[in-house]
Order: sequence, then C-alpha cells, then structure tokens
Amino acid sequence: MPTNRRRRRPPNRLKEHFNAMHLFLTGALVLPAYLFQPLLVVRIAQVLLFAGLAHLAGKRIMWIYFAITVASIAFFNLLTPFGRVLVSLGPLTITRGALEGGLMKGFTIVGLVFISLFSIRPDLRLPGRLGGLVARVFFYFERIIEGKKRIQARRLIASIDDVLEELYVPGSVAETAPVERIDTTALGYALMVAVLGLNWGLLLVQSHIDLVGWMTWV
Amino acid sequence: MDRRQYEKLELIAFMGALCLFFSTIEYLFPKPFPFFRLGLANLPVLVTIKLFPPAYVLLLVLLKVLGHGLINGTLASYVFLFSTAGSFASAVVMLAAYYLCRDRITLLGISVFGALASNVVQIFLSVTFIFGRSAWIIAPPFMALGSVSGVVVGIFAQRFFTQSRWVAAIRTYYAPA
Repeated sequence: MPTNRRRRRPPNRLKEHFNAMHLFLTGALVLPAYLFQPLLVVRIAQVLLFAGLAHLAGKRIMWIYFAITVASIAFFNLLTPFGRVLVSLGPLTITRGALEGGLMKGFTIVGLVFISLFSIRPDLRLPGRLGGLVARVFFYFERIIEGKKRIQARRLIASIDDVLEELYVPGSVAETAPVERIDTTALGYALMVAVLGLNWGLLLVQSHIDLVGWMTWV
Repeated sequence: MDRRQYEKLELIAFMGALCLFFSTIEYLFPKPFPFFRLGLANLPVLVTIKLFPPAYVLLLVLLKVLGHGLINGTLASYVFLFSTAGSFASAVVMLAAYYLCRDRITLLGISVFGALASNVVQIFLSVTFIFGRSAWIIAPPFMALGSVSGVVVGIFAQRFFTQSRWVAAIRTYYAPA
C-alpha cells in the first residue's frame, strides 16, 4: 500500500512552546542575520541549525532533495569559471570562485526554505478578510482530510463525490469552531533568544573581525 | 455583501480546501520520475473557470498558494514565489483560453495551456534567480513533463466536470436564472 511507504512526520515539538505569530517573528528576525553572513562555513552551520528547528517543528526534511538542489545550483555555477583553477575534469574546469559562489547560493536558498519550514505554521492568522477566508479554507480542509481514507483509486470520482456531498451542500455555510490560542512558554522565549542571539552574534563578531582587519590594514 | 456573494465566497473557500486535498492524494498515482508532480491541485481551479467569473478564479488561486505556503511552511521561501508566479500565470492563460475559445475548448486544452504557462514562468524564474543562464538546457525536458501533467490533469478534470454529481449540483444551484 502506498500509505505504508510514506514516512511519518516527526511530532511538532515547537507548537506547544510557541505562539504562531512569535514563531513567525523569530523567522523574520533571523533572516537578515542569515542573509548578511559572508562566511560559507558559518552559512552551512546556520542551515543545519534551521534544519534542526524545522525537524522540531514536525517537518519532514527531504535531505536528498535539498542535496540535489545545492549540487545542481553549484554545478550550473561552475559552468561560468571564476577565480583560481582547482581541477579540470574534461571540458569542465572547476574554479574556486565559481564553486564557493555556487555553494553559497545553494545553501542560502535551502536555508531560506528551512527558516520558512520552522517559522510558518497553519494556525498563523493572516490579517483582514483574506485571513478570514484562509481560515475557512483550513476549516474545510480538516473536514475533507477526515474523509481521505474513503477515497478509492478504482472508483475515484464516485468516492470523491461521496465525501464532497457530505461536506458541502450548495448554498450552505458551515459553523466554524473557535481556534485554540497557544501562548509562548518560558522555554519558547529562551529558544527564541538563543536562536536570534546566536545568528546575530555570529554576524556581529564577523563584522567586528572585518572592521579590525580593515583598521589594521589602514 | 449579499447572501449570494457570501455563498460564492464560501464555495471558493471550500474549493481552496479541495486544492489542498487534491495535492495530498497525488500519491495514489504512479510517478514516472521521483520529482514529478501531477498538479492535481489545479483541478478545482479548472472546474471553477467553468463555473464562476475570473475574479473568483483568481481569488481561489490566491487561497491555494497561501494555503500551500502555510501548510507546507514554504510561505517565506523561494518555493512560494515560484508557486505564486506559476499559479497566477497559469490561471491568467487558462482564463484567456477559456474566454477566447468558449465552447471550442475542453478542460483538457485549458489545462495544457495552463501547465505550459506555469512551466515557462518557473523556468524563467529559476534561470533568473537560482541557476543562471546555463540552466536553459533543462527547459525542453521540463516543458515536456509539464505538458504530460497538463494532459493527465486535463483528462481527469474533464471527466470530473462531466461525471461528478457534486459538480452537477453546484452547476444547477449557481446556473443563471
């Protein structure tokens, strides 16, 4: 059965400690510290940290998919040689500048996905009427997903119809249950400060080293 | 807002939920390649094109991409940008195809147009922002796979539109008096 082959999602351990908006703000505030980080090694460490947070947030990390993404971005970057030649493999010349640039770009993109994965969750309430409509989408989605097991590939349209007819009658408006509000716990705040402090601290230390180096040179 | 408009918005929200649902049942279908996606989530969009005016279709596309972004957690990443651009380009082209050809085009044709538009935009974005000019070499196989998925989704959408009891009930209820 296809269902048995699918890996289970890890439990969402961040949800019980974070309000959805606070988690979103953590992601938004960490973004500049991540994007302005100039060192590749630090960037890779940040990506691993964000992957860990995404795992804690109950997201399944598809490592092969992300490895292929980084590798393919680096490969296409290598097609435009730049900097010192490291090695030549037939027609392909691997240059240091192109390799580092490609890896930096690849890890940056993958890291942005991980930041998004840990900081965005379905109960993040968007403002205004659009936010209200999105909430209705999730309300219906949860109800449809309960009928998912009744969908059969053999009688696909008929079985989908059975579920849809039960859930939505034209002209009807279903009652929405009140949304449970989760407050950020002390542990949640501590994790928020640690994540932001670590990323901004690394950026500030790096900037300080650069500044000292520049002043020494002057 | 009058009652009828409110009901239509409620149905669009339900269709948005259906988009999310269809993307979760994609695993029922065999995949020729590991990263290949059929795009079943477009099925409610295709059905809505035949039922409601363009503004509702575009609202549904917005709800679809926002819903995906929130459920999968990709709202703040390049995936969301690609998905939004591809989905809106596809919707605009599908609407144009439907309103230009009306009864001379089936959902299969509309779906193929939509899939091609979405792929062109996504290739353009990936070349511009991620891979660089060298990545144009991936365009032909990407477009070919996109066309195949457009045909598969189009055939299914056409069957669903004509055979579904639920769609028939919606069409009867919202048919112009």
